[in-house]
Amino acid sequence: MMEFSRRRLLQTGGLVGTALVTGGLAGTAFSRIAAAADDPLYAAARKEGALTLYWGSYEQQTMEAIRDAFKAKYPGIEVNLLRQASQTVYTRLRMELQSGVHECDSLGTTNLLHYTELKKIGALAPFEPVDGVHIPDAFRNLDPDKMYHVGAISLTSINYAPGKVQSPPQSWQALLEDQWQGKITTGSPAFSGDVANWVVAIRRKYGDDFLRAFGKQKPKVGQSNVDTVTDILAGERVVGSGAPFSYTLTQKAAGNPIDVVAPSDDAILNLGVTGILAKAPHPNAARLFTNFLYSTEVSMILQKNYWPTLRKDVPWAEGRSLDQLKWTRNTGDDLGPEVAEGIAKWKELVR
Amino acid sequence: MGVISTDSPDSAAAATARPAMARVPLARTLVFGAVALLLFLLVVLPFGWVLNNSVHDDLTGAWTLGNYARIFQSADLLEPLFNSLLLAVATAVIAVGIGVPLAWLVSRTDLPFRRTIRVLTLTAFVTPSFIGATGWILLAAPNSGWLNALWRSLAGTEAGPLLNIYSMTGAIFICGIYTVPYSFTMVSSALDEMAVELEDAAATLGSGTLRTMLSITIPLVTPAVIASFILSFIQGLTLFGVPAFLLTPTGIPVVTTKLAEFYQLFPPEIFLAAAYCMPLLLVTAMLFWMRRRILGRKQFVTISGKSRAGRRIALGAARWPAFGAALLLPLVSVFLPYAALLLVSLTRAWGQGLSWENLSLYWYWWALFGNSETHTAIVNSLLFSTLAATLCVMLGTVVAYIVERRMVFGASLFGAVATVPIIIPGIVMSVGFFAAYTRAPLNLYGTPLLLVAAFAATFLPIAYAHGGSILKGIGPELERAARSLGAGEGRTFLSITIPLMGGGLLSGWFLVFIPIIRELSVAVFLITPKTNVMTTLIYNAKDGGNYEAVCAMSVLLLLITLALVAAAGPLTRLTTVRRTSRKTGRKSAPAEGVLPT
Repeated sequence: MMEFSRRRLLQTGGLVGTALVTGGLAGTAFSRIAAAADDPLYAAARKEGALTLYWGSYEQQTMEAIRDAFKAKYPGIEVNLLRQASQTVYTRLRMELQSGVHECDSLGTTNLLHYTELKKIGALAPFEPVDGVHIPDAFRNLDPDKMYHVGAISLTSINYAPGKVQSPPQSWQALLEDQWQGKITTGSPAFSGDVANWVVAIRRKYGDDFLRAFGKQKPKVGQSNVDTVTDILAGERVVGSGAPFSYTLTQKAAGNPIDVVAPSDDAILNLGVTGILAKAPHPNAARLFTNFLYSTEVSMILQKNYWPTLRKDVPWAEGRSLDQLKWTRNTGDDLGPEVAEGIAKWKELVR
Repeated sequence: MGVISTDSPDSAAAATARPAMARVPLARTLVFGAVALLLFLLVVLPFGWVLNNSVHDDLTGAWTLGNYARIFQSADLLEPLFNSLLLAVATAVIAVGIGVPLAWLVSRTDLPFRRTIRVLTLTAFVTPSFIGATGWILLAAPNSGWLNALWRSLAGTEAGPLLNIYSMTGAIFICGIYTVPYSFTMVSSALDEMAVELEDAAATLGSGTLRTMLSITIPLVTPAVIASFILSFIQGLTLFGVPAFLLTPTGIPVVTTKLAEFYQLFPPEIFLAAAYCMPLLLVTAMLFWMRRRILGRKQFVTISGKSRAGRRIALGAARWPAFGAALLLPLVSVFLPYAALLLVSLTRAWGQGLSWENLSLYWYWWALFGNSETHTAIVNSLLFSTLAATLCVMLGTVVAYIVERRMVFGASLFGAVATVPIIIPGIVMSVGFFAAYTRAPLNLYGTPLLLVAAFAATFLPIAYAHGGSILKGIGPELERAARSLGAGEGRTFLSITIPLMGGGLLSGWFLVFIPIIRELSVAVFLITPKTNVMTTLIYNAKDGGNYEAVCAMSVLLLLITLALVAAAGPLTRLTTVRRTSRKTGRKSAPAEGVLPT
């Protein structure tokens, strides 16, 4: 119902309603727009008049809400949003760069490797967003040269059907217990970046023995890890491994019988990253958008859609926060080959 | 596409002296030139880029044959090829095995509710196969499938699953039933256009209904049967959604799921992906070669300017059992899966199951009004599909005519070119189009024109094959008569051939329009925020796990397309009547019988 009224307001209420509801802040909408109008970056962006986003982080609905909030706060800038899967967006951008096409201003995908490659070929422009000081400390200054920044925080966990499972597995190790044989659903590392990340993390933690034992549990392997939710809601399986944390919570909030467990042996955290293209046709609009990502408005939208927020001062939905979780993140320069090796091992041991 | 005819007094006078072929070189040159140019732009150029990509290294960009070497040296890459072949052959066998008898029942007999069966078969066609697969997952997943639950309630809770959709058999079944519409439409339009003298002769000589069908009717439409077999085979090779959903969980890789993995890798191996499509091209080329061997120089002409009666074969006592059998396909391809999709789309949160509190039209409201992107996407989908289908049918028909009537030297090359695009999976073709049209002098990137061109090119083979199989049934006598009365080639084509093709052209239009509107992969690198289409949104919703939205949008897509088909119904009738009266030379031709009632 909240969604309904917000959308209606977006359409009918116009500027005032939009800014009020999406912002949810003290102070009037007008004063904020007035403040925005004094911003020299906004003035420069407005002169450019448009902004093109190539984004794969966040699902369509959240991304559209962010776009709409940006448009409401900064009128006069037309926003073109291309929302496709991260790898598709990146493949396209690569082909565009090879053909000398420069359409994209801001790129947001779920794979850090995209940015290390783009940086190497000089395709990114440095920028230091003023509001970046609010980013959780662990993810600030991702790149010393400020070529890219955190764009999304995504957690991989365990999900389950509360009605059918009395005590869900509390850790990755617990998934290997006999009672879960034939009951687990997961995604494929060959199709899903999140699952690939999970495989890398699990191999670092427990080695290939884990994968071997996991294969013996006869999990149902879908494509995306979103499929775990589908399988659980349909009743095909009762426990999901390598499952999307935020998305499961969204489905729970929608009234579906599903819940998450943050595993005691670490939820796997993956960073969505964002960068501004060196030859962006609207560089100032891109800078304005990057800075806007770290605004309270955006973090409120993320909170509402069960995503981890990008600001220390905005808690997650249901009062959760990063500090309450045990988490780990795959770091290192050789992640590319490690992912490929993980996929190969998966194919050998799990199926 | 202008087909030019000249009938000025000068050229008409010249025609009496010279052979007709050489009469109007300018117009001829222009038409053939235009066709050749279009084929070059739509097919040769993007395919050329795919071919060029296939011999380059993904990492270094250097020239190499390494991609091909990798394919044939790695068991990991060979296995999907064999699985795909199995899937494709089985799909084609099912499509033809069901589609041809069904077409005969609907086109040639007094089966009850023929028009309903036609519409329902078309409904199956409108369904993107990944949507059909989704519906069937809800029905026949081993643990949770509703049909399996029903089975357990009958056979006891300990019974194993009755059906397991996550299997090669399951994938073949889904690919098969959603490919039947191809064979059905192609064969039934050939049957619709067919005269009945030979059938009458067989009946007079004492042949029964079944024997007449098997020994006269079906052999006469062999070109359509073979063409639809090949198309169904190609469908089985190139479908992505069904194997991705149904075969990934069983660990059976096919070519298209493997291609998706290449794109998913970092860095993406798009050049290897291009090379990986070439074996498909080779296999399909072999099929076309076999077709030539089978059809050879046989004649399939049944429309020859002689009168024809529009009589239907009486099924007698078999009428209702036959109707029951004809309903089986709509049952498994439309009623059952859509019942499942409809139920999900009508729930607020589908995991809660069915209850009054959970029933809601919210997702329909959301799809129509709640999402700002949907409006543009629906308009774009309809607009691009209409333009692309029209371009596609015009070009496909002209190419088919040139090939069938062997109008220029090397005409069959035109045909071969027009057939290539469908064999290359959309995601790879998309890269070809991207490469061809993002650089000067033909920079169309970001324009609707590029999408229209890519859609038209992808389904050109269907328009061409369909046009060809109709033309094979139209004898050249009437065209020759027109020519000897002084009409030019263009005029003959427009005023004799096209009217004779009649309703077949309209069914051909739908045969490409529908796959275009549900096509996803060829657009993947070509759409921009301003040229977004329905299927991308559906896929994004699926990607985001929003099942209720996926189901609601699928039901809407189905309803929109069905409304269009329904609107075209009266149109079909008009063209059919007009054609009949012209052909038979009777002013008041009895429309009853030849109409798809």
